[in-house]
Amino acid sequence: MHFPPDPDSHSTSTSAGILLFAFCCLLSTGRLLVQSPNPTRVSADDIAQRSDQRFAALKSRLPASGVIGYIGGPGDSATPDYYLTQYALAPLVVDHSPDHAMVIGNFPSSPPSQIPAHLRLVEDFGEGVFLYAAKDGK
Amino acid sequence: MPILAPALCLASGYFLLALTWPPRKMSPAEILIQIALSAGFGLGIFSIVFFFECLLGSSHLVMTDVLVLVLLIVLYVLRRRGLAGVSTTRPEIEDFRAPIWVRSILTVTFAIALVAAVYNVLLRVIAHPHGDGWDALSIWNLHARFLFRGGAHWHDGFNALIPWSHPDYPLLLSATIAHFWSYLGNDAAIVPAIIGIVFALSTVVLLVSALAQLRGRTAALLAGCALLSTPFFVEQATSQYSDVPLSFFILASTVLLCLADFRRCVGENRTAPLVLAGLTAGFAAWTKNEGLLFLLALVVSQLWALTVRQSRKAGSAESLERRRVLAAFLAGAAPVLAVIMYFKHFVAPAGDLFSGPEIMIHKLFTPTRYWVTIRWYAKEFLRFGDWWLVPGTVTMIAFYLLTRRKTTRSPDPFLQASFLGCALTLAGYFAIYLITPQDLYWHLRFSLNRLFLQLWPASLFLFFRFVGRAQDLVSTAESRSKN
Repeated sequence: MHFPPDPDSHSTSTSAGILLFAFCCLLSTGRLLVQSPNPTRVSADDIAQRSDQRFAALKSRLPASGVIGYIGGPGDSATPDYYLTQYALAPLVVDHSPDHAMVIGNFPSSPPSQIPAHLRLVEDFGEGVFLYAAKDGK
Repeated sequence: MPILAPALCLASGYFLLALTWPPRKMSPAEILIQIALSAGFGLGIFSIVFFFECLLGSSHLVMTDVLVLVLLIVLYVLRRRGLAGVSTTRPEIEDFRAPIWVRSILTVTFAIALVAAVYNVLLRVIAHPHGDGWDALSIWNLHARFLFRGGAHWHDGFNALIPWSHPDYPLLLSATIAHFWSYLGNDAAIVPAIIGIVFALSTVVLLVSALAQLRGRTAALLAGCALLSTPFFVEQATSQYSDVPLSFFILASTVLLCLADFRRCVGENRTAPLVLAGLTAGFAAWTKNEGLLFLLALVVSQLWALTVRQSRKAGSAESLERRRVLAAFLAGAAPVLAVIMYFKHFVAPAGDLFSGPEIMIHKLFTPTRYWVTIRWYAKEFLRFGDWWLVPGTVTMIAFYLLTRRKTTRSPDPFLQASFLGCALTLAGYFAIYLITPQDLYWHLRFSLNRLFLQLWPASLFLFFRFVGRAQDLVSTAESRSKN
């Protein structure tokens, strides 16, 4: 194996490059440590687990598969609430529409409002979880 | 059961890899490459096995896993007889030359970065057991629940009624999670978290060990430091999204292509790493739709090497060899591509990225869309990874300027093809932004950093394999024979 001899200047610039690179990596590692959750105050964000528990009673009343309708409350949490409902009730498909024979009402932070006229309440499961059915049964 | 599933998974991956690895005494770096690749292959196999179990409605998962493993072992034993034991001498590789104290500082930096990353990951997993961000629950783990809980109705989840869950996304991650859940008998949140960490760890191990094998210890430590010091990579390792798994398979394809070149230089058969490169590119496509783009980009780059480069270099022998390269790559990708085509055709609804041709053409001829996308690319280039004070990309440019050397290298076909593959993938992402039916700003804001992340480990690998090198392996071998 033969390499042409390196001039010292090259070795120096390579060392400078490595040291500079290592320094920048350490800076970024510092940010990583600063951004880490505080170990003395870290607590699990078990939002999905709580959601599963919230819907457990409703789930036992629903068919194992198929499609069911959904209505929910307004506000910024409306979309995440819907996602969590679908996650809790899979493999049932939760369609964000009231046009189904059975419809879930999900109102975790406010009382039910603007319930479509064609729906009637079947059961209140507590914690803002409701089951509605179409009045005409379709 | 908690031990059986990981053991079967890793063993399947290992024997698939060992099928093609020449029997010989291996360096520690080569052993680490094998471990990292085995994990990725094992998870890929697990996803496909589970998908077939769903399709066939079978409920003999353990038996199927054992059968797959036994089959791989039998093939390995049969093939091992045919694989000549080779005792090639490892060519002397051209690492960065620096004083011991500089290398010691680098080693300490790597150790600090590793400890910090592990610390951050552990705390994040405790804080966010269900993943950090909505995509984990609304896409990947939701699909896993449909596969795990659905029974005969598992395909209900891949339904146009819930387009926000992206039912057209491929299933590597979700089916792997469902596979492990089936062993446990419940959908424990820890499973996707561990799979995410395994992918991230395998990415780091593969990057470092491949560079240690192909370039040297200093280059390996530099790349490892860069990846572990990228806060966004560490954060995504615990997000339970599929971008880190995809980055693993993109890196694996790139590494295997370069390993094929390495084997050519040391006089070994290079068909096997090419087939494996095709397989990992296939797994990339089975992980996320962007992986399909990467696979296509690699094929195009190989075709480019076959046609454009070939026209400059006469010689039917090399032309034939390039065709063999492409054929081996495609042979590796074909089985997974067949699974993807089945999924896309018979299970998944149409994707949401393509609107009508007229609208797409109109968007393609709207100059402001180009300008907006270019600006975001430039911004992301400077802020990618959430590095502190000095962006990682700027650090790499500074490093390049300080270490560049007058080169005597001849063009390295696999390196060129890999660079071209990554560049074409980025160009493909660009084209998708141009025609996206979503709001362009919204789409760029919520996805561009993750697209960059998918290519980040492979970019680090290519950069440190290339930068500051004066000779290539061929000229190294030639000069060696002359001496």
